[in-house]
Amino acid sequence: MTFETVLASIFSAAFIATIIRASTPIILPAMGGLISELAGVINIALEGIMLTAAFFGVVVGALGPEWLPGLPVWVYPWLGALVGVLAGLILTLIIAFFHLELGADVILAALAINILASGGTVFIMFALTGDKGSTSTLASPAMPSIIIPFVGSIPVVGQIFNGENLTGYNIITYAAFLSVALVWLFLYRTRLGTHLRAVGENPVAAASVGIDVKRVQYIALLMSGFLAALGGINLSMGYLTLFQTNMTAGRGYIALAAVFLGNRNPLGTLIAALIFGAAGALEAQLGTLNIPSQLITMIPPIVTIAALVIYNVRRQAQMAANARKFQEKMESEHKVV
Amino acid sequence: MNEARQKFSLEFMRIVVVIVLALLLGFVITAMVSSDPVDAYRELLTGPLPKITINDNGDWQLRGINRFGNWLEDSITLTLLGLSIAIVFKARQFSLGAEGQLTLGALGAGIVSLYIPAPFVIHIGLALLVAGFFGYIWGLIPGALKAYLNADEIVSTLMLNIIAIQLYQFILTRYLKDPTAGYVGTEFFPESAILPVVIPGTRVTIALFIAIIAIVAVWFLMSRTPLGYEIRMLGANRRFAEYGGINAKRVIALSMGLSGILAGLAGAHLSMGLLKQLTLTLSPNIGFEGIVVAMLARNDPKFVPVAALFYGYLRTGAQIMERSSDVTREMVLVIQAIIILFITAERIVPLVQGWWLHRQSPEAILDSAEAKG
Repeated sequence: MTFETVLASIFSAAFIATIIRASTPIILPAMGGLISELAGVINIALEGIMLTAAFFGVVVGALGPEWLPGLPVWVYPWLGALVGVLAGLILTLIIAFFHLELGADVILAALAINILASGGTVFIMFALTGDKGSTSTLASPAMPSIIIPFVGSIPVVGQIFNGENLTGYNIITYAAFLSVALVWLFLYRTRLGTHLRAVGENPVAAASVGIDVKRVQYIALLMSGFLAALGGINLSMGYLTLFQTNMTAGRGYIALAAVFLGNRNPLGTLIAALIFGAAGALEAQLGTLNIPSQLITMIPPIVTIAALVIYNVRRQAQMAANARKFQEKMESEHKVV
Repeated sequence: MNEARQKFSLEFMRIVVVIVLALLLGFVITAMVSSDPVDAYRELLTGPLPKITINDNGDWQLRGINRFGNWLEDSITLTLLGLSIAIVFKARQFSLGAEGQLTLGALGAGIVSLYIPAPFVIHIGLALLVAGFFGYIWGLIPGALKAYLNADEIVSTLMLNIIAIQLYQFILTRYLKDPTAGYVGTEFFPESAILPVVIPGTRVTIALFIAIIAIVAVWFLMSRTPLGYEIRMLGANRRFAEYGGINAKRVIALSMGLSGILAGLAGAHLSMGLLKQLTLTLSPNIGFEGIVVAMLARNDPKFVPVAALFYGYLRTGAQIMERSSDVTREMVLVIQAIIILFITAERIVPLVQGWWLHRQSPEAILDSAEAKG
């Protein structure tokens, strides 16, 4: 493939569709990570929660007809998604309980959950299918796709809104973009959201004005688990329609990076997640150009570290400026007196 | 002193209880999926031990020495990684960067082994030096970012892991790969750069002595040097440490850099001792294993080898179990997760104590209080 054809394929509607699809399983856990981070209980188990939800979604979706025969066919993927999300929530509850009730370090507890998820999914998959690599022997369903009517016939717009083959995006992709708006509304337009940010900013101060810190952190963790689980469902019942060992491949950690790169707010996090999604899509495109994919994969983490540095340098400069202003003010007042 | 001993034995009991509990839970889970859980668990718990068989003539034969070797090899890796994490934890910092440091350590060792010709002992020494140096740099970066810019070390170490692994794979596939091999990997290292075996029939090399030296060195550093004192003070109370004149920023950066050296050496052990070449994946997910070792050892370098031998035993047993039963080795990850969860749960002991006291009669409580007083 020549450089021009690759370039043309990058600046095309189809490529935008690829980015949207690749970003979905980053946007959802990133929104979850944002909520937990703002509540002061950073959830580094997004990875394990996604993996577990992806696994149980596939297993229940595929074996549902065997276990609960007679339901309409469309019910089974939803049943799978439901069980997947529940599994993710149970794992999150374990973290929340161990951290908030038993005094466990939130990072170590979450790390344990990641380890549990990566081992547990393979362990159960082998017991069920005799395969350690993937559930390819199971016929697992996908969550439905939504096709927006009428736009399909419009050349570029149709591809952007309904995917490059005009088959529509998975319903979870819509959920992902919707979640950004909902998380924004929740954080900045509800009482609980305000409390949540207050708890993250200073738990002692929040408690002193009567906010139930523990309850808020429970809620924040469970919301992050819910959103991460949806991301996992998207991976195994949308992006692909099977479960593979360690199929999240670090997306949970990338999502966490998106929170920091996105300056800890919903819109910034969305943009960061889209950048990471684009880098993933670009990797596949440039592979045909003999540009080493490893160099492309390195870009998002380098950008994240650079963003961390810039953010903190600016913050320090700001704090120094504030301190100087305060000092000058004090001095000038002193002179007056 | 007496109180310290009592505290120590309480800690010890707690860890033993957690391990037994985790193994029991593991057995319950195994029983749910296995047709012969007892046999599977016997393999897990006795597999790594060498077996002595005595035939009718009274001659004895030692079998399973390679399994025993696998256990020691793995324990060496785990000791180095456990020490690496213990230093960071002692300073009350967090690092998830061992994977990246180990990968680049292996890369450094590999480059020296393949491209810098040198006589036997010097070659190994140089390769180890470069491996440690690469690890140091990869630990110092997040350390300095944390110390001087307050950049979150969890995110930065996770990102540096991705960068390190991609960099490793890029350099390997682009420049180091043996073009005649049917897979992505370098040629085997020259004899002068391969760590000499010390237990025949295994891959247990002089890395064993490197690990022992590392244990002593970290112990010495932590308890006999000013820097070790500063690390411990920082971990105990940062404000107090700063008030006492300790440069907390420098100590944070250095503690993470030093921890990187040990992870880098673990990478050298993998490449120069076990694999004898560089391959596309070195030892997937080994990076986080140091955490459970450091936690079991309570971040004390003296106990790191004990914890590493225990956890290495389980890991080796799990591989043997996978080969000879219907249970996969990932079982051990479930056990590991349970151990981490229950060891980090600080309030469990007082909770259980409270519950226990609550059940006892008031007189008993008074008696025990008197006995203590």
